[in-house]
Amino acid sequence: MTLPGNKAVVGDAAGIADSPLSGRPFLPDGEGWSCTIAETPMLVAPDLAAYRIDAEPYYRPVGDEISVFEAAWKHRLPVMLKGPTGCGKTRFVEYMAWRLGRPLITVAAHEDMTAADLSGRFLLTPEGTVWHDGPLTLAVRHGAICYLDEIVEARQDTTVVIHPLTDARRMLPLEKRNELIPAHPDFQLVISYNPGYQSAVKDLKESTKQRFVAIDFDYPAPALEAEIVMREAGTDPALARTLVAIAACSRNLKGQGLDEGASTRMLIHAGRLAAGGVPLEAAVHAGIVLPITDDADVRQALGSAISACFA
Amino acid sequence: MSDLVDLDTPGVATPAITRLVRLMAAREALAAVFADARRRVAAYHGEAELEPWAKGVLALVDVNAGAGGLLAFWRASVELSPRLTPAELGETALGAAALCREAGSSATVAALAAFTQIEPRLAGAGERAIWWRALTALGRAAPDCVERVAGQAHRLVLPGHAADFEGFIEAGLKAAGRDRARQHAFFALEDRLALGLLARIGAGPGFDELEAGLKMVLTALWGATPNLQPLPPAGPDTPGRANIAGPAIRLPDVFPGVAGEASRRLYLAAAAHAGAHLFFGNPRFPIRKFKPVQMVLANLVEDARIELLAMRLYPGLRRLWVPYHVASPEDGPTTGALLARVARGLFDPSYSDPDALVGKAQALFAASLERIEDPLISLDVGTRLANDVGQRRIRFDGRGHVVEPAYRDDGLGLWDFGDIDPDVVAEIKMMVDAARIERHETEDGTADEEPTPEPAGRVRPKAAGEKGVVIATYPEWDAGAGVERPDWTSVRAALPVEGDTRPLQRALDRAAPVRARIARLVRAAKVGRAARLKRQAEGHDLDIDAAIEAAIARHAGEMPDMRVFRSTALLQRDLAVLVLVDVSQSTREKLTDGSNVLDVEKLAVAMLGEALEGLGDDFALLAFASAGRDDVRVTCVKGFDEPYGAPAMSRLAGLTSGLSTRLGAALRHAGAEMSRVRSFRKLILVLTDGEPSDIDVAAQDLVQDARRVVLQLRSQGIDTFGVTLDPGEVGSGPAIFGKTNAMPVRRLEDLPMRLSELYFRLARR
Ligand SMILES: Nc1ncnc2c1ncn2[C@@H]1O[C@H](COP(=O)(O)OP(=O)(O)O)[C@@H](O)[C@H]1O
Ligand SMILES: [Mg+2]
Repeated sequence: MTLPGNKAVVGDAAGIADSPLSGRPFLPDGEGWSCTIAETPMLVAPDLAAYRIDAEPYYRPVGDEISVFEAAWKHRLPVMLKGPTGCGKTRFVEYMAWRLGRPLITVAAHEDMTAADLSGRFLLTPEGTVWHDGPLTLAVRHGAICYLDEIVEARQDTTVVIHPLTDARRMLPLEKRNELIPAHPDFQLVISYNPGYQSAVKDLKESTKQRFVAIDFDYPAPALEAEIVMREAGTDPALARTLVAIAACSRNLKGQGLDEGASTRMLIHAGRLAAGGVPLEAAVHAGIVLPITDDADVRQALGSAISACFA
Repeated sequence: MSDLVDLDTPGVATPAITRLVRLMAAREALAAVFADARRRVAAYHGEAELEPWAKGVLALVDVNAGAGGLLAFWRASVELSPRLTPAELGETALGAAALCREAGSSATVAALAAFTQIEPRLAGAGERAIWWRALTALGRAAPDCVERVAGQAHRLVLPGHAADFEGFIEAGLKAAGRDRARQHAFFALEDRLALGLLARIGAGPGFDELEAGLKMVLTALWGATPNLQPLPPAGPDTPGRANIAGPAIRLPDVFPGVAGEASRRLYLAAAAHAGAHLFFGNPRFPIRKFKPVQMVLANLVEDARIELLAMRLYPGLRRLWVPYHVASPEDGPTTGALLARVARGLFDPSYSDPDALVGKAQALFAASLERIEDPLISLDVGTRLANDVGQRRIRFDGRGHVVEPAYRDDGLGLWDFGDIDPDVVAEIKMMVDAARIERHETEDGTADEEPTPEPAGRVRPKAAGEKGVVIATYPEWDAGAGVERPDWTSVRAALPVEGDTRPLQRALDRAAPVRARIARLVRAAKVGRAARLKRQAEGHDLDIDAAIEAAIARHAGEMPDMRVFRSTALLQRDLAVLVLVDVSQSTREKLTDGSNVLDVEKLAVAMLGEALEGLGDDFALLAFASAGRDDVRVTCVKGFDEPYGAPAMSRLAGLTSGLSTRLGAALRHAGAEMSRVRSFRKLILVLTDGEPSDIDVAAQDLVQDARRVVLQLRSQGIDTFGVTLDPGEVGSGPAIFGKTNAMPVRRLEDLPMRLSELYFRLARR
């Protein structure tokens, strides 16, 4: 890379593409100023203590997901958790991170998320610009499980940054810094993906999807889900069963008035309200019906079905 | 008023009562009755208050109401005096006088008599005025029908629903027009429409209003989208009951006499019950030699069985059904009443009844509980109860039987009428016939919703005068001669037909999942794609490249460019689309489910229409067919400048199949329409089921012509895409639209989703 006059171009994509990656930061040094790029400022302890999970999270296995995940972990294969929102994917990752004794760094993807939000960026300080590792970079350097929640929400070009991490290279190129980080041996990438949202506009690229081992998640079977609701919301068994029946009704309306049925998470919310003394109907209304739809007709129909669920 | 005025000194206002007394004194035949009526009205209200009443009587005199009319009013006055003031009675007389002017004395007599009967049902002056106003309107158009209507007043005027009475009369006048015979039939309540409207008086919301909600409740409860259909009234005075026919649940148009919240609850109870039948298995017992009473009792047990199972799953359903189980021994000694108590006993084990049949039904049912999953117990228990009924010689008339309580279905769905034993007892025959007639009628009733299908394979007959006006002429490419022939084709504006949107609406309802997917696409597209703008003066993020350049510039002593931020901006959508639908003869082709290709096209276009409306993109819908170069018909379903709403939808529903496919001419016309629209991006989507063809030219020539048009349009900045129903992918789609712009749809069912998807794909570019 050559400097035209004394102007520097840092991390120019084209520049990286035609220059061999050095793995070292590029330091422009114009006269009388310096663009300080610290060698990875240690803002975070290298053992990622803040990201460790001390107590065992409650997770009720529903199938062979634990053994599949462990097998994937053994080979550090990237894992994709597929399933609707609120069915236990996040809880599962937390549990696995605890079980495997790895720190867990979670990133919730959103529409405006850019590659920089994952990998890191320069921040302007009075002294100049300072590089700051993003969450993905942290996990790659120090060997954490990185969980990218609802990855489809991010723009498609954002997801491309994970490609080199998910094949045999296991590397993270930091274009801006002109650095190529080989992944820590304990680094593992996990993403979640809700196929219900799948559409022509928002979907994972085929080239992204095919890099992952997938584990299918769905709402647990009624008895299991009732057990989870009981435990998480502190309800009695009958109330938990009623809530699960209500959820089943709402899930029948998916695509027929509702975009999604009630999630396990919603049941737990309603259950907590009810267990805390709110009358059941009001708790279900506040915890499930109101959040799930704005359409008055759908609300009324759902209300009729719900009132059939309890004596 | 001439003869009255003569009695008085001009200019001096004589009290009406004085004039009336004088007038009556001269009419010997009436004098005594008048005196009596006056005395009795005065006894209620006081002599001093009679003035407005007397004015009313004078008004009747004035319109020649005759002795009959006066007597009828006096009778009414006496009877209504406890309820109405003299002023209100006077108003009544004025109303009657207005009617008398239109319909004559005897109609007025009948109306006054009926008014006396139904007056307690009318709330206040407003509703009383409605009665007279409606009858007067009727008298003006069909004077001889007033008496008929007056004779049915007790059925037409229900408390709180006086407006429905007026609506009924308006509807009858509109429907019958000047046709005397139809007027008579309608207002004697002998006409289908009249019966349907009668059922709606004081009833509802009915099926139409509640269908969508019920569909959702049943889907939520039973996990499958139900097939709900309306059932027109079976006949006068026959209470409506649900009916299960195969997978379809048919609910009455309206439950007569049930209104408001009660109507909603009844529909919900009936739908949940029918849904439970289908969910827990509808066995359909072959009817063989069963006696009607046996069938009816088996139905009662089956109802109890499926309700019990349903309430195990959904305990709250008890709350829905229990209010209807109120039968008691006080209801009378009829068999129907006894059966309603059996139903109650089976529903509620704690109910005890003096009649042994109820107890026996409860005991037998309780004993079968361990086999509750097995529908055969209904037949077993029903048969044993029927034996008891037989031994006790309880009379049972299968024909007049109506299932109680009202939310239960008629029970016919439980039986297979397929193979009836030839020497079946006469009674069953009657019952089965009755069932068949009812089926038959309803089939007729629904048949006229859809256009009667014309015999396939024949081109729609075309009368010379039917040709629309020529709105444009276009050239056409003559491939054989290699020249473009100017003004070769004439495009005519075909008048859009407003069709019944209900079948289309039902198809849309059935396609709810696909629509939801499309709605999501709409939402996603609406959010707009954010364009990332670099080097901005302000923004939410630093443009690191610009920042570094600025820093370098400053250190180099140059003037830094301070636009060092990044921001996002929503991309404006600016596109117009014209959807061109082929409605030629080949779209009449029937599919296995009874619909045809055009129906699927309509559904696809309706779904796309919804999406486009949601997005706010400019769009137009044109349909085309042709009968030679001189007659290319283009129907404007929706123009660019009108919203996609009910009128456009009904024009879409009104499209019919016929004639040929002169695609090139239609495309030129679409292009011309498009050129008037100002948009950055212009798309034409052609929806066609096959090959261009016409009666006066070789198909291959039309393919080449169409290809030329597509290329010309592209040079004008209009992109044309063909969605072709082409299962074998052997058609000329690619030859016309080009490989990338042709989208063959292999499975017709996919068309709706495909069409919308294509649009979203195109619109994103
Ligand atoms: N298998 C499970 N074991 C324990 N808790 C569960 C399980 N499934 C769901 N939950 C509960 O549901 C809630 C929502 O799950 P979460 O993992 O946040 O959903 P997701 O990540 O799929 O959107 C959790 O907080 C937890 O209480
Ligand atoms: Mg029934």
